[in-house]
Amino acid sequence: MNRLSRVSAETWLTLFFVVLSLCCLAFMSQLVAESKVLFGRSLTPIQPTLFPIIILSALGVLSLWQIWVMRSHWLSDEPMLMGGKGFRRVVFLFAIMLVYALAMDTVGFFISSAIAMGMIGFVAGNRVVVQILLVSIVAPVLLYLVATRGLAVSLPELSVIEFAYAGLFNR
Amino acid sequence: MIEQFTDGFAMALRFDTLLMIIVGLFSGMLVGALPGFTTLMAMAILLPLSFFLDPLVGIPFLLGVYKGGIFGGSIPAILVSMPGTGAAVATSIDGYKLTQKGQSRKALDIALFSSVIGDTASDIFTVLLIFPIAFLVMQFGPPELFAVLLMSLIIIVVTSGRSPLKGLIMMFFGFWLAQIGTDPIGGVERFTFGLFELKSGIPLLPMLIGVFALPEIAYALMRTDRVQSISKLVGERLNRDEFRRCVKTIRRSTVIGTAIGIVPGLGQVVAAMMGYSAAKNASDHPETFGEGEIEGVAAAEAANNAVNGPTLVPLLTLGIPGDNVTAILLGAFVAQGLRPGPQLFEEQGATVFAILIAMVFANLLFLVIGYFSIPFFSRIVTVKSGLLIPIVIMFAFAGAYVFRSDPTDLLMLVGFGLFGLLARAGKFEVMPMVMGFILGPPLEYAFGQTVAMAGTSPLSFVFADRPGMLGVLIATPIVGYLLWRRMRSVRS
Repeated sequence: MNRLSRVSAETWLTLFFVVLSLCCLAFMSQLVAESKVLFGRSLTPIQPTLFPIIILSALGVLSLWQIWVMRSHWLSDEPMLMGGKGFRRVVFLFAIMLVYALAMDTVGFFISSAIAMGMIGFVAGNRVVVQILLVSIVAPVLLYLVATRGLAVSLPELSVIEFAYAGLFNR
Repeated sequence: MIEQFTDGFAMALRFDTLLMIIVGLFSGMLVGALPGFTTLMAMAILLPLSFFLDPLVGIPFLLGVYKGGIFGGSIPAILVSMPGTGAAVATSIDGYKLTQKGQSRKALDIALFSSVIGDTASDIFTVLLIFPIAFLVMQFGPPELFAVLLMSLIIIVVTSGRSPLKGLIMMFFGFWLAQIGTDPIGGVERFTFGLFELKSGIPLLPMLIGVFALPEIAYALMRTDRVQSISKLVGERLNRDEFRRCVKTIRRSTVIGTAIGIVPGLGQVVAAMMGYSAAKNASDHPETFGEGEIEGVAAAEAANNAVNGPTLVPLLTLGIPGDNVTAILLGAFVAQGLRPGPQLFEEQGATVFAILIAMVFANLLFLVIGYFSIPFFSRIVTVKSGLLIPIVIMFAFAGAYVFRSDPTDLLMLVGFGLFGLLARAGKFEVMPMVMGFILGPPLEYAFGQTVAMAGTSPLSFVFADRPGMLGVLIATPIVGYLLWRRMRSVRS
């Protein structure tokens, strides 16, 4: 393993907190709007930047302290998230979920769910094609029915499917 | 108060409330019984469903999931030594040994009975205690509220993980996340980075599902290649003498669990471990503990279930969720327009009573359902996770979407899931972050009001005018340190 891949999740996360707090403190005036003023006097007892400054300063100081605490073990010999097959599965899972999140509004709940569920089932180790197909087709249909008929809430769907669905139930 | 109680009693006896409690209990037990699936995951996934039900149906439904899930977690703990939740770890010590001895039926029976007794007793205690505490809290002004919120956060930080430093970092990160959107005092935009989607802040639901459910799913996925030997439900049922032998232990564990439940942050894991240790120390035959002692199962189960009711005391009176499950319940209350805090009792006293009484009814239903369905749930343990993980993810996505119908929430869900996974890999607890996120706005609001009240002389204001606030502020580091020491010894 090279040096960069040995950096532990703990170190990455702590560095993220340090960078976040320092950047937000440095660009505070751009990130927080000016407080509302009436006749030259502020309308609020405290400035909107006061609490963020306290929070981000504390976050920065504590994160730097954490870096100091783990100075001797910021590299790890163990791979992140167990490594190997398990790690690859999780990477695939999150990649599928990201595409699912991006696609749901565009291609609708049925199609995106059916494809995502089939792929996730496969990644989760299910190799029985009939089971995968059944779960990926039946489960979205059932959930859609429960959501729309039982709870009266809408899920994103293609107009063609929505019209067909409305025609089926509103006859 | 009597009138509110009687109104609440009548409201709790609705058919749909009882029906949804049964559905919740069944769903909770089902998920809890699946190795690798947890109560927390079930609560996070089913939370959005409660938004579209009446408060008196939706919240008892979630309470049913909670109770059923905690007991359900003991089924794989006893049958395959795979505790579904941290709370069931102590149960698996003696439970699995009993299974190996061919007495799994006895172990599951005593787990059910002690869970129901512990839960019912602590729920009745909660009903009796909650109004006097709410009355006390009503006397609080913003300075006292600020001090109590701060103290609760510190307690959650020191009790939620091994490193209080990491807990503090996560808490401050949660505060920062809560500041994204519109300032609660001045109404100006903060940290929106010019994005319209962030103007109303980060929604609670995608965060809760993301940090609690998705990392659990990812870990369940990583575990699928572990082969478990499945033990069948065998042996005789629990007899009266064996139950009688456990009564003292159940009573002791119920008291321990109830006391722990009131303190924010401690939760079921600590209660189960302390209940188990206390039973072992008090026993005439401590050497049998860990070798298949029925009292060991009773001690752990009564203690971890006795936490369920009292965790609602800080939640309902102060709006402080004591653990991750009550954080999800807080989401349900808020979405239903019931903002936990002292005002809730003034405005919706009967509804609160109805929910609490429904919680007691849930235990009776829990006993009946649990008694007859143990054989069914024991078979569930063998269901392949490859079949269930896709369904759980679909529920998570649909749930995150329906509340605001905003596709951005789905991206936030995945983002928080990834963050939760990284945090878990880096041994950062997400609980303080969620608490910081939930309690950040009221804390900032109370802080702003305190500053305004103090005017130009903050020191004399705190020392002379607000002794209550001063007392809580002084007690905070002392209580925090004592709890941290206690937690360290419990963990070791």
